[in-house]
Amino acid sequence: MSQNRWLATGNFFTSYKQEQRTFFTHLDRTIFTCFLVILFGWPLVFEISNKYMLVLDNILIAIVAVMGLNLLLGFAGLISIGHAAFVGIGAYTVASVCQVIGENHVIVTHFWPVLIVVAGIMGAIFGAFVGLPALRLKHLYLAIATLSFQMIFEWFIQFMSFFNQGQTIYVGRAHWFTGQVGRNDHYLFWYYIILTIVVVLGFGVRNLLKTKYGRCLVAVRDNDRAADAMGMNPGLTKVYAFALAGFFAGVAGALHAYLYRGVGFDSFTLHHSVAYLAMAIVGGLGTLNGIFWGPVAIKYLDLQVEQFSELAGHYLTYAPNVATALKPLSFGLVIVLFLMYEPRGIANWWRIAKSYTKLWPFRY
Amino acid sequence: MSYFFQIVVSGIVVGSIYALAALGLVLVYKSSRVANFAHGQIIAAGAFITFFLTVRLGVPIFFSFLASMLITFFLAMSVERIFLRRLIGEPIISVIMVTIGLASIFDGLIYLTPFGSENFSFPTFLPTESIVVGGVSISWTQLVGVIITFVLIGCFSWFFKKSTVGISMRAVSDDQFGAMSVGISVPRVFALAWATAGLSAAAAGCIIGNITGLNFETLHAFGIVVFPVVILGGLDSILGAVVAGIIMGLIQQFASGYLDGNFGLNGTGDVMPYIILLIILLFKPHGLFGIHEIERV
Repeated sequence: MSQNRWLATGNFFTSYKQEQRTFFTHLDRTIFTCFLVILFGWPLVFEISNKYMLVLDNILIAIVAVMGLNLLLGFAGLISIGHAAFVGIGAYTVASVCQVIGENHVIVTHFWPVLIVVAGIMGAIFGAFVGLPALRLKHLYLAIATLSFQMIFEWFIQFMSFFNQGQTIYVGRAHWFTGQVGRNDHYLFWYYIILTIVVVLGFGVRNLLKTKYGRCLVAVRDNDRAADAMGMNPGLTKVYAFALAGFFAGVAGALHAYLYRGVGFDSFTLHHSVAYLAMAIVGGLGTLNGIFWGPVAIKYLDLQVEQFSELAGHYLTYAPNVATALKPLSFGLVIVLFLMYEPRGIANWWRIAKSYTKLWPFRY
Repeated sequence: MSYFFQIVVSGIVVGSIYALAALGLVLVYKSSRVANFAHGQIIAAGAFITFFLTVRLGVPIFFSFLASMLITFFLAMSVERIFLRRLIGEPIISVIMVTIGLASIFDGLIYLTPFGSENFSFPTFLPTESIVVGGVSISWTQLVGVIITFVLIGCFSWFFKKSTVGISMRAVSDDQFGAMSVGISVPRVFALAWATAGLSAAAAGCIIGNITGLNFETLHAFGIVVFPVVILGGLDSILGAVVAGIIMGLIQQFASGYLDGNFGLNGTGDVMPYIILLIILLFKPHGLFGIHEIERV
């Protein structure tokens, strides 16, 4: 049977090999390539001010972090209210290296890819440790375990003089093959680096979910007793899901440290954990493209709220800091409304659009 | 030695407030299996409503205390009606996330009012000098707070043990299907559980506000710190909440009394509950009085 390689109207796989392909149709591949070309080419064509470049970088870092959270929450079904703490572990790994050998040491400035990987591994170790209660517990108890990790992390950072008691620890400028990255190119440089990391990790996640380990996560989410009966180890799988989430968060944290050239305790509070959760939920739990839509939507909302509250600040005379009020309010509303009316997130809209065009123009 | 007893006394004061705050969480969890992450915000709302009624409108504090309990009663009930009733039967992740979202919404709403950022304190209505017995001092506010807390806890226990509504609530927590078949309206019980939780939260908020002063950050922090308490006591046990509340208060006061300043430590009282929480979760996850759930595929 000859197959239409551009449009698949249904599932016609005849072997597991076929199902494991990265792109199912040429159309998928084309759309993906167009996206990549746009994302990589955009800053070269248009002049983007440093302010908006920073927002873009932030979105990409959030994507890396949410990738881990979505693996944990969406695919393994484990709630983490301490994701910002794992991101913080990554950032403070870089910071502690800076504290020990100096912020402009050659390891910090030249071997930053190594440090990013090390930060990811540190995140994974802490993730596995926090996930240890998962050997016996599920759901709510785990959520509370991660919550307590968040609180302990916050206390520890504020208490240790080694970490400057939560004040900013500076991280040196990164070097590229062309020399030190200058002040004006800083955000553009990190945009490309983080984008590359996002693409690599995105493929990693996609492929992981097609392997034994990825399917193990989904099986444990759906019913861990049944998964146990089928010969998987639910406890270990959960710990390993936590380690994976920790790895992604650690990488995101290291990137955050390099992007801001400093690590402060303010960026890793409980509030940020809730923000990551909001991103994961708005994007769509248990979906791959939700990982990308969520952070974009939430950060865009954030930007709008900031602009709106600046505007409102001019008109309100008593002005109790409007931005601090509207941010949690909009976050909360978005989380609650999405959970009530669109629990499958923005990714569901994408899915609906895709299934509508699948058979177009023939309906059945 | 009087230092030791001073710490014991302040531990019991703090602990009894924890017990009252944890009570609301246990009530909701026991009947509807929802962990309410917005509990701290309801506590804060109760405290601020009392303050508003007393100071801005000039209502006598006793009546505003009752009025705020009534208001949060209906506030919590409407929260259940509007947001959580739709989620009955949804996965537990969604339910937990909705309460986290609700906490965020309440945060935003309270930050919009002047109460969000400033410090207030209740007008004093009790004698300001402390009572000193054998070198151990306790202020009148603390003493009255502890007494009110224990009276309230007693009322709640009576309500659960003896009254018809309380018995129907226990029936629902035991077996929803069985409760339905003997004619108990399960949604009504859920609403009542939330409402009683709101009521106890307001009471806790007023007592905390009287003892420590009104600050939004400290008030809503109570919503988080009750989680170690309820886990220690077992999530679905009222007795557990009371015992664990007092244990946690004592631990916290002993930690800040004896560890702070020694060994270069600082602020251990804030972190101790969470460290204990992690240890409990690892070794005795269902707490002191909790029921060990048996799961079947």
